[in-house]
Amino acid sequence: MWEQIGAGLINALQPFNLFLAIAGLTGGILIGALPGLTATMGVALMVPLTFAMNPTSGLIMLGAIYSGAIYGGSNAAILINTPGTPSSVATTFDGWPMCRAGKADEALNASLLSSAFGGIVGTLFLLFLAAPLARLALKFGAPEFFWLCIFGLSTIAAMSAGNVFKGLVSGALGLLVSTIGLDPIEGVPRFTFGYYPLVQGIEVIPAMIGLFSFSQVINLVGSRQKYIADYKPNPGAFMRVVRKLWKDCKMILTRSSVIGAIVGILPGAGGEIASIIAYNESKRWDRNPSRYGTGIVEGVAASESANNATIGGSLIPMLCLGIPGSAVAAVMMGALLVHGITPGFKIFTASGNLAYTFIVSLLVVNVLMVLVGSLLIKGTARVLNVPTSYVGVAIVALSIIGSYAIRNSMVDVMIMIFFGLVGHFGSRIGLDTGAMALGIILGPIVEENLGKSIALAGADGSVFKVFFTHPISLILIVLTVLSVITPWLLSRRRGCSTKEAVDGVQS
Amino acid sequence: MVKGNRKFVALLLVGIMAALVLLSAGCGQKQAGSSGEQNYPTKPVNMIIAFTAGGSSDVQARIMQKYWDKLVKQPWVFQYKTGAGGAIGFAEIAKSAPDGYTIGGVNVPHIVLQPLGQGAQYTIDDFEYICQVVNDPQVLAVRKDSKFKSVKEVLDFAKKNPEKLKVGIVGTFTGHHLMLLDLQDKTGIKVTQVVYKGAADQNAALLGGEIDVMIGNVNDVMRSLEQMRVLAVASEERSKFLPDVPTFKEEGLDIVSDIRRGFVAPKGTDPKVVQFLRDTFKKIAEDPEYLKDMEKAGQPAEYMSGEDFEKYVREQNEKSKELLTKFGLLKA
Repeated sequence: MWEQIGAGLINALQPFNLFLAIAGLTGGILIGALPGLTATMGVALMVPLTFAMNPTSGLIMLGAIYSGAIYGGSNAAILINTPGTPSSVATTFDGWPMCRAGKADEALNASLLSSAFGGIVGTLFLLFLAAPLARLALKFGAPEFFWLCIFGLSTIAAMSAGNVFKGLVSGALGLLVSTIGLDPIEGVPRFTFGYYPLVQGIEVIPAMIGLFSFSQVINLVGSRQKYIADYKPNPGAFMRVVRKLWKDCKMILTRSSVIGAIVGILPGAGGEIASIIAYNESKRWDRNPSRYGTGIVEGVAASESANNATIGGSLIPMLCLGIPGSAVAAVMMGALLVHGITPGFKIFTASGNLAYTFIVSLLVVNVLMVLVGSLLIKGTARVLNVPTSYVGVAIVALSIIGSYAIRNSMVDVMIMIFFGLVGHFGSRIGLDTGAMALGIILGPIVEENLGKSIALAGADGSVFKVFFTHPISLILIVLTVLSVITPWLLSRRRGCSTKEAVDGVQS
Repeated sequence: MVKGNRKFVALLLVGIMAALVLLSAGCGQKQAGSSGEQNYPTKPVNMIIAFTAGGSSDVQARIMQKYWDKLVKQPWVFQYKTGAGGAIGFAEIAKSAPDGYTIGGVNVPHIVLQPLGQGAQYTIDDFEYICQVVNDPQVLAVRKDSKFKSVKEVLDFAKKNPEKLKVGIVGTFTGHHLMLLDLQDKTGIKVTQVVYKGAADQNAALLGGEIDVMIGNVNDVMRSLEQMRVLAVASEERSKFLPDVPTFKEEGLDIVSDIRRGFVAPKGTDPKVVQFLRDTFKKIAEDPEYLKDMEKAGQPAEYMSGEDFEKYVREQNEKSKELLTKFGLLKA
């Protein structure tokens, strides 16, 4: 195996492959940073190009785009409070407050380094633990997915510690939105009001672009601020962040990366879920959870390391079982199949050269990302020196392009605008857009797996057995209960002081 | 700040240009080819694919495009109109101007079942049928270490234990769903039907032991043959991808069920254009190099002329109507 890793490294370092990796990274970071253009889109668009290359080089480029785009999403999240890809929603929680406090450089560098760290951890999982983890993915059945999503939803309670009631209402509204369209089990259209295009349901990405980007534009325009935030280039931020991460964030980075890698393995759960869970776990284990959301490096590190770690994870079932762990991995599998390469455990022996070169190249890509990323940061941070009127126009244009491009459908543009208005006016009456987004993302997965679990319970003759006896389910149930009661316990222990602090953060 | 502005505008332009370049790169423009004295086509032809880029339908069309470019001067411009299991894209083809510059891929039984069961915005009468290119039969598969070694054992178990056998299918009102209804109708068994969103989740569930049996397609199970045993294939003859697997007919059950891919133009397209398309697609479909590429990609090629394809679609329509009515799934 070590020989193959060595051979893979040599292949990955060939000039042409290095060139593809850098080109892919640059393109990927830009796509990720532009709100509305997602990693899936970037990879899908470049697949046709890879048909003309040898499969290894093609995969290296796709892997670089994937890594770059997932990292790139944090740029927009930090600088304009607009997640560039759905995976960086949690990055806005601390990244944006940092930016407003004039610490954009720190936030951007923290996100870059954490992304690279997470990417490397995810790749190491892929390199050394692919086979056992692929088997773990198979243990994740419908009831486990159901509980995972319930656990994800329980973070609403922790997220909106200031006003749990409004958070829950927002989450419930999100769940309600997610029931529009074909019922996943019976195939019956719901809440379409006779308007056929709604049969396909509310696509998550346009809804998110609306809730986060478009509503943000309306806020910006309404705020009459000339600039988004004060920004002065801050030399030495890179090294300061390196020291800070090394000193305070080792545990957070490791835990978040492991969470990311494991969530990534599960088909149907990707960076958007991993980053929220990781953020929340970091917050829970912190000595002083109330500082999360005020603009601290730890929050950015948790979210960004987790979402990049999902990349390696999502490739595990794709390579080992032919079951893609994410939408991007599915597109990459299509590219493999065109070249006549069949995924499976034997890919490591039958096409070992390709498999190892690809995996090792992901390590190289993550190292290169630090270089390419820190060059690009210098440019992207300048967005803050541009008057909001220009930034607003650019975000509107990109939001429309991005929503349309998901399925080339104007319906999605309308959905985006609708949710933009919901986000803007809703936040005035305390609607929690994060909680609502969580509902929209997790709703369909919860519903589908609840339906499947009930069908399975019918065959097994016991609802209790299906939902409450699988070991993974039990772990998730315990985590859910903990997640719901910790904020309550904490506020009881600390009395009024915490409550005031939290309220202070929210206002 | 003026300087900052200019820089930003430049940055923005670069960003938008990059996005546009990427978007057009997705269309795979290529002005190759030599022959072609005919008047049609004089401009690129839109090819609507109702599924995501990189999916099976896309991969198949991309392989065809390679050979189309050799025969025709004008390229295809791929447009992905995805959603609702293909219904959005199929409706898009049906609604397009019948000028020959928009064609697209369709799947059977999708185009039959969606108008029947889900009120899709097109009917099978909205198309001119160019040809069929793929016939991907449904199979019955179990895990490699399953106690079921044959279709008969599965049926025996299901007969003795009504509603205990867990069968995974992908989607409702799909080919899988129809085949499961057909199987229950013809054998009198009652099973628990577990509906998955896609083949990926379903394959994982079978390998993880959540379901006992699944209905899949040759193209999907091919990727997991190391861990799955295919008990029977629902085609007239054995699949060349799975030469050791018997057909349902060999097992004494008259079940033929498959997913077919073909190409269509909107109704009302000039008959001369339709004829040109039919001839060109026929030439491509019979090219041995094309067939080799298809096999490499795990795509079970089967050509059928436009006339026969249309006839087949209408037959399926009648059969499906009958079966869905029997199970009370069709609103009168």
